[in-house]
Amino acid sequence: MRAALATLLLATLLAPAASAAPLSPEETQQVLVHLDDMQRNGGDYKALIYLESKQKDKEDLVYQLVAYRRDADDKLMMLFLKPKTEAGKGYLRIDKNLFMYDPTTGKWDRRTERERIAGTDSNRADYDESRLAEEFVPTYVGEEKLGKYAVHHITMKAKSDADVAYPVMDIWVDQATGNLLKQQERAASGKLMRTTYYPKWDKLWSPSKGADVYFPREIRIFDEVEKGNRTVVAIQEVDLSALPLNIFTKAWLESKTR
Amino acid sequence: MRGLARLRILFRMAWRNLFNHKAKNTVVGLLMAFGAFLVVVGTSTLASIESAMTRSVTGSVAGHLQVYSDQARDQLALFGGGFMGASDVGTLPDFSQVKTTLLAVDNVKAVVPMGIDVAEFYTQTELDHAIESLRKALDAEDDARVARMEHKIRSMATLMAEEFGNRRKIMRTKAEIDEQLAGIRRATEDAFWQELRRDPVAGVTFLDTKLAPLVDENEGYGMQYIGTDLDAFVKSFDRFELVQGTLVPSGQRGMLVNQHFYDNSLRNRVARMFDRLRKQLHEKGKTLAGDPLLQNTVKRMVRQYRRITFQLEPEEAETLERDLKALLPEVKGNLDALVQAFLDVNDANFDARYAFFQEKIVPHIELYLFDIGDVITIRSYTRSGYPKSVNLKVYGTFTFHGLEESVLAGAHNLMDIMTFRDLYGVMTDEKRAELAEIKAEVGLADVKAENAEDALFGEASDVAATPVATTSTFDELAELKKAAKQGDAAAVERFTQDDIDHGLALNVAVLLKDPSRLEETWGALYGAIGRAKLGLQVVDWRIATGMVGQFVSLAGVVLYVALIIIFIVAIFIMNNTMVMATIERATEIGTMRAIGSRRLFILGLFFCETVILGAVAGVVGGLAGYGFMAHLGNVGIPAPSDELIFLFSGPRLFPTVDSGQVLVALALIVVISVVATLFPAWVATRIQPIVAMQAKE
Repeated sequence: MRAALATLLLATLLAPAASAAPLSPEETQQVLVHLDDMQRNGGDYKALIYLESKQKDKEDLVYQLVAYRRDADDKLMMLFLKPKTEAGKGYLRIDKNLFMYDPTTGKWDRRTERERIAGTDSNRADYDESRLAEEFVPTYVGEEKLGKYAVHHITMKAKSDADVAYPVMDIWVDQATGNLLKQQERAASGKLMRTTYYPKWDKLWSPSKGADVYFPREIRIFDEVEKGNRTVVAIQEVDLSALPLNIFTKAWLESKTR
Repeated sequence: MRGLARLRILFRMAWRNLFNHKAKNTVVGLLMAFGAFLVVVGTSTLASIESAMTRSVTGSVAGHLQVYSDQARDQLALFGGGFMGASDVGTLPDFSQVKTTLLAVDNVKAVVPMGIDVAEFYTQTELDHAIESLRKALDAEDDARVARMEHKIRSMATLMAEEFGNRRKIMRTKAEIDEQLAGIRRATEDAFWQELRRDPVAGVTFLDTKLAPLVDENEGYGMQYIGTDLDAFVKSFDRFELVQGTLVPSGQRGMLVNQHFYDNSLRNRVARMFDRLRKQLHEKGKTLAGDPLLQNTVKRMVRQYRRITFQLEPEEAETLERDLKALLPEVKGNLDALVQAFLDVNDANFDARYAFFQEKIVPHIELYLFDIGDVITIRSYTRSGYPKSVNLKVYGTFTFHGLEESVLAGAHNLMDIMTFRDLYGVMTDEKRAELAEIKAEVGLADVKAENAEDALFGEASDVAATPVATTSTFDELAELKKAAKQGDAAAVERFTQDDIDHGLALNVAVLLKDPSRLEETWGALYGAIGRAKLGLQVVDWRIATGMVGQFVSLAGVVLYVALIIIFIVAIFIMNNTMVMATIERATEIGTMRAIGSRRLFILGLFFCETVILGAVAGVVGGLAGYGFMAHLGNVGIPAPSDELIFLFSGPRLFPTVDSGQVLVALALIVVISVVATLFPAWVATRIQPIVAMQAKE
C-alpha cells in the first residue's frame, strides 16, 4: 500500500507538466524514499551475483557470489562461490559492523565501510538494500539529460550518524520510471571517487511486500581515482524465499565452508 | 759532480731557512700534516665502511648482484627506497629460465629467487579473542569454559564502564556515549548472561557488535618478508644464523621470523618497555629523573596497562590484585588503577618493580604474540586492497651474524616462496581458464568510462524495469561443496625443487665465486640475458639496497669534496704565507742575486724548502693518521645509531689501514705544497740585486 502510494506520488511528480519546475525539498526527499522503497523487500532476499573487475595493466578478476539480505533487520551476508580459491569467503554485516571471513585461515576480521569487496571497486552498499532517504539529506540540483533520458539531478550529503563509504553523493533519477541511472560519490574534500551507472533494471513480485521489488540487473562502477579501473556487478538471479533463521551469524557461514 | 754539490748547498740553505722562519713554517706544516692525517683517516674509514657494508649486504639478503624485470616501474630497493608506497619491480613469471641462464655464466656461484612484500600479522583484541572463545565454548557446550569467559568478559566490561564513565564527564554531547555505556553495562549484568545461555547466538552477536567495537586498542603488526627458496637462501647467505627452533623442512611451507623483529615488535609492549628502561638505566647510566625521553616512556608504559589486565584469567587477576595491594597499600581502586600505579616507576623503585614484574606478572601473560612452533595467520593485500590470508607455521627465529642489533637487517622475515606466491595472488593458467569460463557464462560486454553514457543510455537502451519471475534454481551450498571436494590444486602442501623453480619470483640474488670480478661478471650476465631475450636488468648490491647502499658513495663524495675544499684553502694559505715570506726575505734574496745566484737557483731553493716541509708534514700527518686508525682498529668505532650498525656490519667498526694510504697522503701533500709554492717562487726570482743595495742604504 505504502509502495503503491509512493509510486502514485512519484508518477505525479514525474509527469511532464511538472517536470519544468524544480522539485521542492519535500518532493526531492520523496524521490529518495521512492528509490529505497521500490528496492526494499519485506521478507528475505537472495541474489546470485557476477562480479568482474578490470584494473589497469592487470588481468581481470572475476567472482561469483551470493548476497543474502534480511531488510527488516538490516542484515546482509555475502558468500563467494567462484573461483575455487575464493569459495567460502564471506562478508557479514550486522548493524554497523562488517566482518570478513576467510575459510583458509578460519579467521574473522573487522572491515570498514570503504572495504573494496574482493578488491574490486564495489563496496558493501552496492549489495545491500538502498537506504538513501535514511542516510542522506538531499538537495535538488535540476533537470538534465542523461543519454536519451530526462533525469532529476539530486545532490546529497550524508547525515552525521550514517555509516556510508563517501559523505557526498550525486544521483541522477529517470523522470519517467523513477529508476536510479547514475550515481557519483565524493570524498569530504569534494574529490570524485566513483561514478556508477545502473543501465538495466528488473522487477520481481514479492509476496511478503505485496508489490514488486526492483533491483539493478547491471551496475557499472568506474573508479575516478585509478582511472581505467572498472567493475561490473550483475545480478543473475533473485530468490525471495525465506532464508534460514540463523543465517546471519558467524557460525552459519563457518559451518557452510568448513 | 757540480750539480750534486749545488743540490747539497740548496738543501742546507733550505733547511736553515726553514728553521729561520719557524713560526710561518710551523703553521704551514701543521696545515699540511692535518691534510695528510685526514687523507689517511678518511680513505681508510671509507674503505673499511665499504668493506663492512659489502659483507653486511652481500652476506645477508642482496648477494653481489640483483636481477629483476626491465619492465619494473620502480627501482629495486631491498632496504626501502625512501618513498611511500609499495614498489613495483615487475615480475619474473618463470624463475627456472632465469636460473638456467644465470648459472651458465662464468663466476656465478648461486642464484636465489626472491619476492619482497609486506603483510600483516593477524591479531585480535583481548576482548575479540575472549568473545571468540566464548562462542566456541557455547558451541561445544563446555560450561566450565563458558563460565571462565563470562568472568573475563564481565571484568573487561566493568573496566570499560569505568573508563567510558570518565570519558563521559569530558564530552559535550552525551547521547552517543550514553548509548555505548548502556551496552557496556548490559554486558556486566547477570540478566544478560542468563539470557545469553538461553539464546547464545543473540548474546554473542550483541557482544560482537556492540561491545567489541568499543575497544580501540587493536593494531596491525606490519611484517616485511622475503619469499624465497629457503634451502638455497640458508646455503648461499653466510651471515644467516638460526637462533631458535629449526629450519623449515625442505619442501614444506613455513616461516622464519627475524629475532630482532620478534623481540622488538612482537613481544608484549609492557615487557619491552620495562627492558628498554632497564637497559637505559643500567647499561647507559641514565636516570629517569634526568631524562625526559625516559619519563615519556614511563608515561606510555602506564597507558599500556591493559596489555596486562586483559590477559589475566579471573583467578590470576585476583592474585595479582592482592599482591599489588600489598605492594602499593596507598593506592585505592581496582586492578586497573593498581597496575597503572605499579607501572608508574621512578629511579627509586625501578629495580624492585622490574623484579616484581618478572616474578609475578610475566608467567601469567603471553610474552610474545606467538610462540615458535605456532601456526599464525598472515594477511597481505592486493594493490586494490583485497586481503589474502594464509596460515603458516613459524619454525624458528634467525639473525644475520654481526647484525643482531640492526633494525635494517632485522626488518626482513623469511617465508617459503610457494606461500609468497599465494599471498602475491599469482594467476596460474588453471585459474585463468576458470575465470574465462565464469566470464563466458555471463557474457557481458565491456564498457569504458569515456563512452559509458552513450553506450548505456543511447537510443538502443531501455531503463524500464523488466518483470522477471522468482527463481530458486541456484543452489549455492551445493556449489560450495563441489568446490571443497575439488580442492584447490594451487594450494600445494608439499612441494619439490621443480615447483620452486617453475614459478614466479620478483627478483633474483646472484652470488659470485670471486666478488672482485663483479664488473666483468655483470657484463657477462647482461650478454647472457640479452641472448636469451629475458628482458631483465642487473644491478649491483649498492643500487639494489636503495638509499642505504648509496650511503657509501655519498659518504665518499662528501669526503672528497671536504678534502678538495681543505686543500684549496691550504694552497691559498700557503701561497699567501709564502708570498709574504718572500717579500720579507727580499733583502736576503737580493743579496744572493747580487753575489751571483741565478734565478733558477732561487727557484730551486724555494721548491726545496717546500718539498722538505711537505715531506716532513706528510710523514708526521700520515703516521699520525696511521696510528690513529690502527688504534681504532683495535678498540673499534661504536655505531651510534641503528643505521650505522648496518653500515658498520656490527655494533662497532674495526677499520683497517695500510701503508699505501700513508704513501698516497704523502705524495698528495708534496704535490700540493709544490703547487702552492709556484707563485711565491716566481715572485722571488723577480727580485733584483738592487733591492739588497737599497735596503743597506
